[in-house]
Amino acid sequence: MELVRRTRALWARRGVLSTLVTRDLRVRYAQSALGYVWTVLDPLLMSLIYYVVFVLILKRGDLGHQPYFLFLVIGLLSWQWFSASLTDTSRALISEAKLVRSTNLPREIWVVRVIASKGVEFVLSLPVLLVFLVFYLVRGHAHLNGWLVLFPLALVLQAVALLGLGLILAPVTVLVTDMQRVVRIVLRMLFYATPVIYTTHLVDAPYDKIFWLNPMTGILELMRAGFFRHDRYPIVWGAIGTSVVVSVVLLFVGVAVFRRLERPVLKEI
Amino acid sequence: MSEPVISVEGLGVEFYRSRRRRMQLREMLFRGRTGAPRETFWALRDVSFDIMPGEAVGVVGGNGGGKSTLLKMLAGVLLPDEGTVTVRGGVAPLIELTGGFVGELTARDNVYLMGGLHGLPKSTIDERFDEIVDFAGPQVRAGLDTPYRHFSSGMKVRLGFAVVTTLDEPIVLVDEVLAVGDKAFRDKCYDRMEGLLAEGRTLFLVSHSEKDLRRFGDRALYLRSGELVMDGPMGEVLDRYNADLEAG
Repeated sequence: MELVRRTRALWARRGVLSTLVTRDLRVRYAQSALGYVWTVLDPLLMSLIYYVVFVLILKRGDLGHQPYFLFLVIGLLSWQWFSASLTDTSRALISEAKLVRSTNLPREIWVVRVIASKGVEFVLSLPVLLVFLVFYLVRGHAHLNGWLVLFPLALVLQAVALLGLGLILAPVTVLVTDMQRVVRIVLRMLFYATPVIYTTHLVDAPYDKIFWLNPMTGILELMRAGFFRHDRYPIVWGAIGTSVVVSVVLLFVGVAVFRRLERPVLKEI
Repeated sequence: MSEPVISVEGLGVEFYRSRRRRMQLREMLFRGRTGAPRETFWALRDVSFDIMPGEAVGVVGGNGGGKSTLLKMLAGVLLPDEGTVTVRGGVAPLIELTGGFVGELTARDNVYLMGGLHGLPKSTIDERFDEIVDFAGPQVRAGLDTPYRHFSSGMKVRLGFAVVTTLDEPIVLVDEVLAVGDKAFRDKCYDRMEGLLAEGRTLFLVSHSEKDLRRFGDRALYLRSGELVMDGPMGEVLDRYNADLEAG
């Protein structure tokens, strides 16, 4: 099967993949110590802003699990991986045009590389989450539980969803010039349509089912499951199940679209 | 009788006439058309040939004949619309030599990255590092730990050439790279390429320089408007090409 053959080809060149990811991380971090600060500062500042706006000004402390700030940090770190990956995969082939033109690597590698780099950045930003977790644990506000085992599953699922979307976006952006702008706008809208700063429990039925179609809804449920008490807002298993299905479907569609568009894309680059 | 390293059969590639066929979502939505020109032409058509191991083949032809397109096909960075291209063995492509380098990183880091991209393990690069830098010249050695973007364009190309020619691949593809660099470096490149040929590598060369072609190629392919007009010994093909040029 074609999918297996492609995956094998990619696996055979995993050395190159790790070279590319190392290169990205070096460019990002080796330049200055600030490189790391920048990746965590953005989601932290955004968390702070939403906390001030919703909790301190609008007096709505019930938008998500308690402690709300921890709820925000998890959501925004994960969202940063999501949105940065999609912004970058949409120009993955264009920005590396010279390399794509001169090296005979499986072309999917340019998409995988972006998601892997951003994924590593996400994992490297987790210590910050840990700091806040410890802070809230000491104060007795956070409630770690066994569902923490779902966290790695969330990572895998997010990578699968991103791969599918990236494999669609990368070739389409080469052929349709204003796609990058569209991606930016859609991402901004999608941010508010994703339960990052609120929980889906607040969405009235039956409209919450529409939110389930967004793979990030289930992924965020998985990520947050282990950190909070679920008496008020229980875990939404329906969203998680839908997210698994949607992500896997996206991956298959992505592989098919990428294969289909590879030929014309190579001519344009 | 050994197997050919490169087999091309009935190869054809179709391009859009305008250089960019890019579409815009805006146009599709608001004007209901794609804004894409429909006129196409064949950059290569019905091209077939075999190349045996150790052969040195030059490609002759005017601009727009399909030379570079053919080279890209062999490098695997373009896919055929018709026919097949089979390349048995790895390829060291001397195309877009400086494409893989990152301006922000030092030249030293860049050598490792570029080597890695072409599949050399780190230990092998360690072994050959000095050889690579020697070849690239004293200026490059002096600047090894400065960011690559401070290099002059000549130094960049020299470093690229040095890395790609240390690859162990049995097939070497060369696209006009010999046109850059000063005379001293060109001579070094010639020596290196003769060395590669002597080792039994297969060389596939695209050039406008008759001197280079005669020096390295025993056999030539003559491409005109995407069609393989002649395939034979270098001297004869060049004579035919020159005769065609004079005839206009």
